[in-house]
Amino acid sequence: MGASERTHRLFRHDWKIATNAVRATFAAWQDRLVAAILLLMAVAGLRNGFADLPWLTALWAGGAVSLGVGMAAGRLVLARLAFHAFDGLLAADALQLPFRRRYIGAWHGIGIVMLSGITLIVRPSLLIVSVPAYLVGALMAGLTAAVAMPLRILDATRPNWSVRAWLRHPSAGVAAAIILLLVLLQARTLGPNVALAYAGVGTVVLTLALTDVDESAVRFMTIAGYGSGRIVLRLSRTLVSFVAVAVPGCWLILGAAPAGIVAAASALMFGLMAMRVLAYRLHGKRFADVLVLVLAGLLLLVGYAIPFALPVIALAVFWHLQHRAAAKTWLLV
Amino acid sequence: MNPAVLLAGAAVDRNGQRVVQEVDLTVTRGSWFGVIGANGSGKTSLLRALAGRLPFAAGSCLVEDEDLSADRAGRAQRFGFSPPADALPEALRARDVLELIGGDLDAVRARLGALQAALGLAPLLDRWIGDCSAGMRQRIAIAAAFAGGHALVILDEPFNWLDPVAMFDLRETLRGMVDNGLTLVTALHDLATLATACNAGLMLADGQVAMTLDEDMLQAAARDPLAFERRTIDLLRS
Repeated sequence: MGASERTHRLFRHDWKIATNAVRATFAAWQDRLVAAILLLMAVAGLRNGFADLPWLTALWAGGAVSLGVGMAAGRLVLARLAFHAFDGLLAADALQLPFRRRYIGAWHGIGIVMLSGITLIVRPSLLIVSVPAYLVGALMAGLTAAVAMPLRILDATRPNWSVRAWLRHPSAGVAAAIILLLVLLQARTLGPNVALAYAGVGTVVLTLALTDVDESAVRFMTIAGYGSGRIVLRLSRTLVSFVAVAVPGCWLILGAAPAGIVAAASALMFGLMAMRVLAYRLHGKRFADVLVLVLAGLLLLVGYAIPFALPVIALAVFWHLQHRAAAKTWLLV
Repeated sequence: MNPAVLLAGAAVDRNGQRVVQEVDLTVTRGSWFGVIGANGSGKTSLLRALAGRLPFAAGSCLVEDEDLSADRAGRAQRFGFSPPADALPEALRARDVLELIGGDLDAVRARLGALQAALGLAPLLDRWIGDCSAGMRQRIAIAAAFAGGHALVILDEPFNWLDPVAMFDLRETLRGMVDNGLTLVTALHDLATLATACNAGLMLADGQVAMTLDEDMLQAAARDPLAFERRTIDLLRS
């Protein structure tokens, strides 16, 4: 094989996987229709949200979103390159700097074109911030990865695995609830609005750790005959113990409204966890994470732009995922 | 004749821990070198480092007289390597995998030669890897190691998942390819294959060389495989 053919071999490899996976995911016309409707709604929601914002606020919001997208894309591309160099078919290419650069450049080129297209639809004047912010995000991902790699060398005893194992035990939920209640006791002195904010943000942060989903565990349980519901129930034991302590405790300390916020935020995180389980039953980790990111973003947008449609859209999304994931039980794939 | 591969004092780290240390190894050109050892003894880490998939933490690595100790990309280019069968991309067909590695499929098939029949590759070419059984994926992974036409090939436990007929055919075909000039390094759990098909080998225990096996020892093992098996198992237990 000549050098010219090898130039974009890594990219062609992943492009082929991506296009085949998308084709398989949206094989039926109903799937394509649902995807098209969701995409249209997402773009419409974004356009609606940004159009009403004052110019400076839109500039900051657009910059922050583009920065986040750039960082996420940068991390995905680097993680993919690390996979290629360790377990991939084309490790020789993934280890050579010129090929690595072309691979990174090609994916970020696609990222910039997509982001520019969306920006042009949503609010064209934001182009001056979206593309530079994306590039800064991608650069930051590269710099943080360079720092993270030497630190990983110190990680010989794998304390993170022990912590992850404990986070699946109901006692972790009780501990997290006690932490939240202690914080809320303190926040009570700062006024009712601050306490409400503490209740919401604190719940999201703590339950993020409690609802962590291990893709390989989901895959194993699927092969072993666990249905989606059973996996979700098993993974939600920690969250249940958190809610059982945090909601009544919050009601006693701050009243009904903050307790409602804790319950609602917990329900939101439960939904996110269930969505990840369904996605991991259907796809590999990378693709599933991107899918969950897109769907969660879409639901947030719908909730913001057309809140009355949120239950219907959320039900449609979960029904679609569950419908496809149900067929995977017992399958050795 | 200069060796194809020469390791001296080689060490490999994984997750901050030294999993292979002080390994000396010489692989003669046109020979089959077998690496045996218990689970977790460091076989896969050693072979991955040799194939550039991991760095060497210490020691030297000469490949065809060129020092590639610090050159992972150079080692990855020099060796054909079978990726783990479970890491093959599910959304590709076997045909796609072979074309990506070796270019035009006709050229790849010419390079594979008799290996195509031994692996039963023809019916797998248009299957999605996601629809393949573990044994089918293993066949595709082995073919991938040879698709680039390398003269040096590393296979990590190639007989896993294969049925007895495929194991027999593959072993015979690989032996024929080695007789025609291929240099092959494999990790093995099958002592019979080590005794009857390999020219030399070593046993790893806790990341270190527990025993080296030269041609004379393996010929003796082939004459009395039961005695060889008992001695090897005793050593592995200890």
